[in-house]
Amino acid sequence: MALKKILLVDDSCTARLVNRMIFSQKSNYELISAVDGKEAVERARQDKPDLILMDIMMPRMTGLEACRLIKQDKTTSGIPVILLTTRGEESYVQEGYASGCSDYLTKPVNDAELLNLFKAYLGE
Amino acid sequence: MIGGGNGSRILRKNMVTKNDIDGKRRLPSEELRARTQLLSLREQLEHNHFLLERLYAASAGIMQAVEDGDVHVAIGEIVSNLIGSEEAAIFHYRKAARRFLNAWSVGISDEQLRQLSDGTSMMWRTVGEGVTQFRDRQNELQLQSCEQNLTASVVLKSGHEIVGVLLVFGLLPQKNGLEWVDHQLFKFLETYGAVAIQLQLLRKNAAAL
Repeated sequence: MALKKILLVDDSCTARLVNRMIFSQKSNYELISAVDGKEAVERARQDKPDLILMDIMMPRMTGLEACRLIKQDKTTSGIPVILLTTRGEESYVQEGYASGCSDYLTKPVNDAELLNLFKAYLGE
Repeated sequence: MIGGGNGSRILRKNMVTKNDIDGKRRLPSEELRARTQLLSLREQLEHNHFLLERLYAASAGIMQAVEDGDVHVAIGEIVSNLIGSEEAAIFHYRKAARRFLNAWSVGISDEQLRQLSDGTSMMWRTVGEGVTQFRDRQNELQLQSCEQNLTASVVLKSGHEIVGVLLVFGLLPQKNGLEWVDHQLFKFLETYGAVAIQLQLLRKNAAAL
């Protein structure tokens, strides 16, 4: 069975590493990564991941903008995007959903919460 | 013999039945105890794994910054992504001059930074005692206006030398307070964050010669 491909997008290497460890230690996923929104859009088009976990505050292109572009592109619009941010206030959450994201998680990430969400989206 | 045999069989049968009944009576509580123990052990392992994941990510972030980045930014990423605060500042401490120098900050106004650079009661206590200070009822009354939102003043200590302080202000709204793992990360930063800052400073000084 082919491994599910997950695209991790964060400009912080600490955050990317934590997310990578959460997935690699507890589940069988193929993990790919990008360091900003612009690279995320390119990798989404090129690699067609099964799911994207993306930070919002990033240089060059924010996660919100990248999410909008991914959802506008017919070839990537079906990929679920989970936005990850430090801001949990209602206005930020609404802005996140307006960009077309499937779900919205706040940092610091809870391992079980993240894995359960992924399992639900990936139909496991 | 036959009768004895039967009797023995009957007895054994009876004994087995009795044991079964006793066993059935005991099983639920034993099973419950065993399950509780399993869950507790699993929880301990997950707890440790959770901490080690974060300590490893913190360590890797600092190591990478030592090689090709800014250690202060790496510490900021740890505070933001792993502890959960976007209001923090790092001050270097010059013991001979009894001065604090702002080296990095995020989410702090210029005015607040200027006030903090003079050193606050909490910062002086941190370097004086060489111990991380947390906001509590006892010190709340002594806090200056620029440190009203302070959560922790973390001592950055390389060996016996105090390199500076890391001030962590408001926690993110989704955080209810500092957790066990946060305290472990502070302990990690106290030592390894300080050593990394000192290493980077020495490298810069050497490069400037």
